Amino acid sequence: MSTDIQTLKSLDLFADLNFGELEKIASLMHMMKVTEGEVLTRKGEPARTFFIVLSGNFMLSFKKDRSFTLHNKGNIIGWSTVVTPFQYRGTAIALTDGLVLSMPGQEFLRLIQSDSTLGDKIMRKINKIVSERMPYTTGTWKD
Amino acid sequence: MFGFEAIIAHNGWGISLVGISIVFTGLILLALAVAQIHKIIELWDKRHRFKKPRQKKEKKEATVPDLTVSQDVQRASRQFKLLIEWIGEPFPLPKLLDLSEKCGLSRPHSTINELVKCELIIPDGNGYFIWNKEKFRDLGKKE
Repeated sequence: MSTDIQTLKSLDLFADLNFGELEKIASLMHMMKVTEGEVLTRKGEPARTFFIVLSGNFMLSFKKDRSFTLHNKGNIIGWSTVVTPFQYRGTAIALTDGLVLSMPGQEFLRLIQSDSTLGDKIMRKINKIVSERMPYTTGTWKD
Repeated sequence: MFGFEAIIAHNGWGISLVGISIVFTGLILLALAVAQIHKIIELWDKRHRFKKPRQKKEKKEATVPDLTVSQDVQRASRQFKLLIEWIGEPFPLPKLLDLSEKCGLSRPHSTINELVKCELIIPDGNGYFIWNKEKFRDLGKKE
């Protein structure tokens, strides 16, 4: 299933992109159905796919089994696809059936690197999410 | 009769003046219409904004039932409470999921999701979760 521009525009991650930039993203995105209990990413494995939640509920678990749940449209899974060392930091499991947009990590990275304006807009949003999730991924919590 | 004489005799100047004024009036009207096209395009681009308030209303209506706890979740909550007591608090969500699968509870992923969404299981702020005793007590009273 291909992705339409309007769907992408409604996502916070791509809200700042113009029509041309959205078209580039849309050409890489694919809609994918997920079923309850399906594992989208596994901690430590090469980060090959980037996901954006359209519907459904997910659990992300990290070091020492620390975890959080995702319930909203626009939540992202697999930011490690665009951050070194390109290995998933956590395991993502679908708690319910749902829909996600998936994008091959290498192509996403190539797009970000080749178009600096687009890359800047997206990476600014991803960096914000990364900093929010950093305590889970590094395991550096106040015990 | 030729030349200007013929033009004057057959109201040529008048006719040409009327013709010129019709053409120029048409051009002016066309220019004014073209000058306003950007407003129409802007309205078209923002058409989804007019739809949004209605969608929000629908969303609000849809989220209300989510907060109520279904009979199935009430039943499952007792089983999960026992598992959580066995694990100890605060507990890692993946461990609860793993244990509930081993115990053969039906659809543990979606049940845990329901328990999180209805706030019977709440995050402790350090990546782990705790059992919401007050909420569980309220459920018991309602029964």
